[in-house]
Amino acid sequence: MSAIDPAFTALPIPSPAASSRSIARRILGRAARSTEFRIGLALFAILLLAAAVYPELSGIDPTKMDVRARLLPPLFMGDKWSWAHPLGTDQIGRDMLVRSVVGLRYSFLIGVASVAVTLLIGCVLGAVAGYFGGRVDTLAMRVTDAQLSIPMIILAIAVLGVSRPTIPAIILVLGLSNWPVYARVMRSVVMAERGREYVRAAQVSGATHARIILTLLIPLLAPPILLTSILDVARMMIFESTLGFLGLGVQPPTPTFGNIIADGRKYLLNAWWIATMPGVFLCLTLTSINLIGAAFERARNTIYGGV
Amino acid sequence: MAAAVLSVRNLSVDLALAGRERPILKDISFDMRPREIVGVVGASGSGKTVLSKAVVNWIEAPLAIRGGEVRFRDRDILAMAPGEMRRLRRDVAYVGANPMGALDPTLPVGRQIVEKIRAVAPEIGGAEAARRVVELLEAVRIPSAKARFHDYPSQFSGGMMQRALIVDAMVSNPTLLVADNVTQPLDVTVAAQVIRLMRELTERFETAVLFVSSSLPVAREAASRILVIDDGRLVEEQPTEALIASPRHPYTRELVSQVPAIWREAPAVPRGSNAERSAVVSLNDVSQTYRVRKRGAFAGASELRAVRRVTFDVFKGDSFAVVGESGCGKSTLMRLLSRLERPAGGEVLCEGQDISKLSGAGLLAFRRKLQLVLQDPFDSLPPRTAIGRMLEIPLRVHGWRDAGRIREKVRAVMNDVGLPDALYEELPTGLSAGQRQRVNVARAMVLDPEILLMDETLSALDQTEQFKLLALFEKLQREHSLTYIFISHDLAMVRKACNRIAVMYLGEVVELADNDRLFFDPGHPYTKALLSAMPTLEERRYRPEDCLLEGEPPSPIDLPTGCSFRSRCPQAFDRCVRENPLLTARGRTDLSSCHLVSSPSAIAAERASRSTGT
Repeated sequence: MSAIDPAFTALPIPSPAASSRSIARRILGRAARSTEFRIGLALFAILLLAAAVYPELSGIDPTKMDVRARLLPPLFMGDKWSWAHPLGTDQIGRDMLVRSVVGLRYSFLIGVASVAVTLLIGCVLGAVAGYFGGRVDTLAMRVTDAQLSIPMIILAIAVLGVSRPTIPAIILVLGLSNWPVYARVMRSVVMAERGREYVRAAQVSGATHARIILTLLIPLLAPPILLTSILDVARMMIFESTLGFLGLGVQPPTPTFGNIIADGRKYLLNAWWIATMPGVFLCLTLTSINLIGAAFERARNTIYGGV
Repeated sequence: MAAAVLSVRNLSVDLALAGRERPILKDISFDMRPREIVGVVGASGSGKTVLSKAVVNWIEAPLAIRGGEVRFRDRDILAMAPGEMRRLRRDVAYVGANPMGALDPTLPVGRQIVEKIRAVAPEIGGAEAARRVVELLEAVRIPSAKARFHDYPSQFSGGMMQRALIVDAMVSNPTLLVADNVTQPLDVTVAAQVIRLMRELTERFETAVLFVSSSLPVAREAASRILVIDDGRLVEEQPTEALIASPRHPYTRELVSQVPAIWREAPAVPRGSNAERSAVVSLNDVSQTYRVRKRGAFAGASELRAVRRVTFDVFKGDSFAVVGESGCGKSTLMRLLSRLERPAGGEVLCEGQDISKLSGAGLLAFRRKLQLVLQDPFDSLPPRTAIGRMLEIPLRVHGWRDAGRIREKVRAVMNDVGLPDALYEELPTGLSAGQRQRVNVARAMVLDPEILLMDETLSALDQTEQFKLLALFEKLQREHSLTYIFISHDLAMVRKACNRIAVMYLGEVVELADNDRLFFDPGHPYTKALLSAMPTLEERRYRPEDCLLEGEPPSPIDLPTGCSFRSRCPQAFDRCVRENPLLTARGRTDLSSCHLVSSPSAIAAERASRSTGT
């Protein structure tokens, strides 16, 4: 029994003004009122805008070498800095700002897309396994176990070594290597939810299994999973650089966070900024997403908690 | 008069949740003497549970004690240090309403009770404590207590678990036992046993019991004096019989008047007019069998026969009831009727069509005709969907596309069941159990069904809410010419609302009769036992001592040979061991399956032999 009788937390019937808005809009409104959401959104918008327009607008080619201007430090650091390269240059004189921003594009694309693949496979398989149970469940979970037993690197070498390491292939490999965790989590929560009476009520009203899973269970269970998966975006970006070390990542000279960091590691002592700048961008991106996600989660909890 | 063992003075408890502070208990004062059972009665949300927790000094945030004192043996326990309170737990015990949640599922029951003894009375040795637990388990009539001592909670039935918890509370010979709604999750026959047990214990161990209950008849069974709580205030305190005979406070008067009368007055039950008595639902020899893994065996399965050869018809406009205790197959029957499952044998006909053969459009049409209202008001609504949307879903499933029309229909149904329009975009979070049940009814009504299947719809509600919802059902039946099938264990509700009743025991229908006949002239000993155990405010018609033996229904996995009720039937004789009685007609419309009911053909034969003899 819960410590608080539900009757005590019961609300008086809310005023008509509050109830005229739908739940989703109330959550959005509540999230938008918090400062962290605004900071996160502003940061995210700036980064997005920079990634979208800066390389073309500035006209700097991220792969253009300039040996005279190699290893320039960022603004106001040391004595050789220049306005032309606000974040300095790397060992062969490529502009760090434009490389980071273009890297952000690729890394973000790889991170988000591979997490999406992960979520799609994991959630669908987990939901189906948890909902139907029995043989379907056994089969799906054995597939999951099989997947878990294949190390990611081996899978990557097998797939990317045979085909060319193109971006779609990399996304697929990264996505395929991570879904079992999501499948297991999704399966267990769906299993718990499936036994609840409202699922039975939906069945009696004639809803098909697909409708129940898609309209009742997924909207209920997906948001917390989405929030945790944001952290996986960063993990995927790092994994991509791991692949880069094996020569199976995105091929140079295309800049991604992974291969910029991999390059910069050799110059860490005399040109720390090469490896640091992508890290800073990575950190900013993830912080902004996390701020937005956390604000949403808190708004969700307050609205659904009935406060 | 003995000195009070517990005296509560001006106790006030507040809810201290930021933004929602309000008082829960206001100025409660009462006394309890040794060996006395005091009942506390009130609606849900009136503060009964908070009171029972305050008495054992178990008030936790967000609740806060605002004032007053609880004196136990002349010491204020609210002001006690935690360490001191812990020693006092030996004398003050608490049993809650949820026996399944109160025990650790990973430890044997006996060990947990021993743990409790050793915590409150460290001087008792382990072996001695175990011996005492076994002794007490025997005292509460748990069969083969020595073996049960090592069983896990999952191996106990609900009734046994509640008794084990009473042992857990009584094991240290407490002076005061607080029993918060202990009989609520139990079946009537088992609840009657638990109440009897509690009475015996007060005499054996000189314990005073504070018996909190949401039902006045149950409190009357147990208590010699009753406190009535309304909205956190103690409004009346009288000896039980006096309270029922002459309630003084208007709230008590209302409470007493809302208890359904069983024997005194004939209820105004609906009756389909004779001209159009066509069967809308018929069950023909329906059986359902589940395969369950054999206990204690490596492989192999045993058959659980949940429903056995059930046959009955439900006529248009009827309020049909299926009653029985938990495990009798009511819920399986509900799943068969609503086609969540297909029967293993026999057929379920809805207006002449076998529903297990339906699919596609035919199935959807059947779904429109028969809808289900579920039991648990908290589990049956998706927690994060707005109420309006919840009600829209069935319409969308059935092919409604025009958003405006859907909205209109949903609003109309919400008005019908008495939900304000303002709830359309609200979550169910803040609703009371009664309002949630209205949403449940609305969800079923939104498809304009002809038959509503009520699966224990009222059992989670308190009396006042039940009363209101029954009135609503009556209204809906009148306006929409509905047929109801109630599945229930609450005979008082059935007496008030239904015209035809089927009694189930271990998967079989043992009696099928009209309301009056069933209550006044039951044909089956089990029906009589149920009636005798039913708590009411009236004079008993059947004495429990004559009607029911101790114990619980046998497991449906290994059914006894012959009549399945014989293990608890006081009238069992040899023939009951040998053969299972068939449903036999008693009069024009009523049926009962007992060897003691003589069949019309047997009567005729006897008459014939008598006439030839003379």
